Amino acid sequence: MVGKTVTLTGNLAAGKAAEMAKPKVIAVYPITPQTDIIEYLSGLVSSGKLEARFITVESEHSALAACAGAAWAGVRTFTATSSQGLLYMGEWVFWSGYGRLPIVMPVVNRCLAPGWSIFVDLQDSMAFRDAGWIQIYTKNNQEVFDTVLQAFKIGESKDISLPVMPCLDGFVLSHTTAKVELPDPEEAYSFVGDYSDPVVEVDVDNPWAYGGLVGPEQFNIARRDLMKAMERAKAKIIKVNKEFEETFGRSYGNGLVEQYGDDDADLTLITMGTMGDEADEAIDQLKQEGYKVNGVRVRTFRPFPVEDIVRIAKKNHKLFILDRAVSFGHEGPLRIEIEAALKRYNLDIPTSGDIVGLGGESVPYKRIMKIAKEALRS
Amino acid sequence: MIELLQISRGGSGGVTGAKILAEAALYEGVESQAIPKYGSERRGAAVEAYVRFDDKPIRIHSPVVEPDIAMVLDTSLIERLDLLKIKQEGIIIINSKEIPKAFKGTNRKIAYVDATAISLNLGLVAGGFTLVNTTMLGAFAKATGLVSIENIIKGIEHTLNPRIAPKNVEAAKKAFEETKVETV
Repeated sequence: MVGKTVTLTGNLAAGKAAEMAKPKVIAVYPITPQTDIIEYLSGLVSSGKLEARFITVESEHSALAACAGAAWAGVRTFTATSSQGLLYMGEWVFWSGYGRLPIVMPVVNRCLAPGWSIFVDLQDSMAFRDAGWIQIYTKNNQEVFDTVLQAFKIGESKDISLPVMPCLDGFVLSHTTAKVELPDPEEAYSFVGDYSDPVVEVDVDNPWAYGGLVGPEQFNIARRDLMKAMERAKAKIIKVNKEFEETFGRSYGNGLVEQYGDDDADLTLITMGTMGDEADEAIDQLKQEGYKVNGVRVRTFRPFPVEDIVRIAKKNHKLFILDRAVSFGHEGPLRIEIEAALKRYNLDIPTSGDIVGLGGESVPYKRIMKIAKEALRS
Repeated sequence: MIELLQISRGGSGGVTGAKILAEAALYEGVESQAIPKYGSERRGAAVEAYVRFDDKPIRIHSPVVEPDIAMVLDTSLIERLDLLKIKQEGIIIINSKEIPKAFKGTNRKIAYVDATAISLNLGLVAGGFTLVNTTMLGAFAKATGLVSIENIIKGIEHTLNPRIAPKNVEAAKKAFEETKVETV
């Protein structure tokens, strides 16, 4: 078989990537705008095209609990969710992260209620910043496919063993049809590889306690291990991005950040998700009008690419951060991270920023151009 | 980049039609993107979808505001078109027996076809709604030349269930033959 070019929604792109990675256990509960992903996989399992245990449960809390059980048993595990569903999973999101269970769970970003809305912002996944999950944000349907495939390889690596959340903007990607290059399924599987050497694998003949009571000493060993694994994940994501490029001819910056434009620009716009793609369009248009603007799309929010941000900031002294979520009582979460990164390296670079696109508000490139021009003037 | 705004009634297949158009553009070797506008739309309500075509990867993800092409699947929805926003050199494609009076003297290029009659004759009806989505894709091919009728047919056959695809193909072909284009 060979690869082919197709048109797919972002949800189906995520579903196809999961299909090619052949998870053994898929435990799910539906929620808009994620549901197409699990419906697609459900169809594959029921028609015998995918050999997996497909577990339907009564809530998201149980869905992720079932996934955690499967991951403890040492098999490749997949689920997906959004918004309120992710919140309802909450307890198990932390269990899975702190338990080092390499589950792959696309989060189709949707704002949180109230008001009741089904559209995109990043408030849902941002709420789980500290849950010990790798978070990778995507800009188009191709990157959704590529990232879900990469997620298994990154998370399941023995030196990492962490769950991964590939994040895609609800509706803007999940329900939009666009071109996607699909690799040959065998080549895709061989890129991911077997999950043959899990860190944790329940052995009924050799019983152990998992998640048992521990004292402060063991507790701190585990937490420090997790901190180190997250730090190692940076190099792993860079490596997997490179290997992906060698195999399939596509890459996303260095894997952690993607830069568009020149280092000597007068302004650097820092964004995430589809806003990054839209910002690139704005940057080209601004260039035609004589403005020099640089674009940085933060792809991995966890681990946070501190070194890349610092490297770019040193050359670009005017930073403007576009956030699609809020840390109430402070700023946008992305801006907070950028400022902390600069501070850590004693860089005295003031930032400015704005919170845009909440609850599905559209952020067209013309608006980004206007924001950039205002930032350049101030 | 060429941008399409499509307005239909929920239940008439507009969202699927936009997807088929994106698939047909792929066969044409054109980059494309089909965005359905979701919200509280339901059966019978006006539903918008946007399709973009370009010769390079599309980086814009926001809705189409100033379309080059406007396509209206239900005659009663033409009043929703904001002529000021549709590019003057663009084209308006409507499901109508004749050019509606509202367009007279606007110096606009109008393509029109009685898609409802074509679909009804072929029995393209579901849940009380006449399905005019694929019929109008035939009109789109004729009016714009952006995508050939052959690739529209390929797109229909790829996307729809083999049971219902042949009737839809026939509807698209018929509309392709019957669509008239005039500047009013």
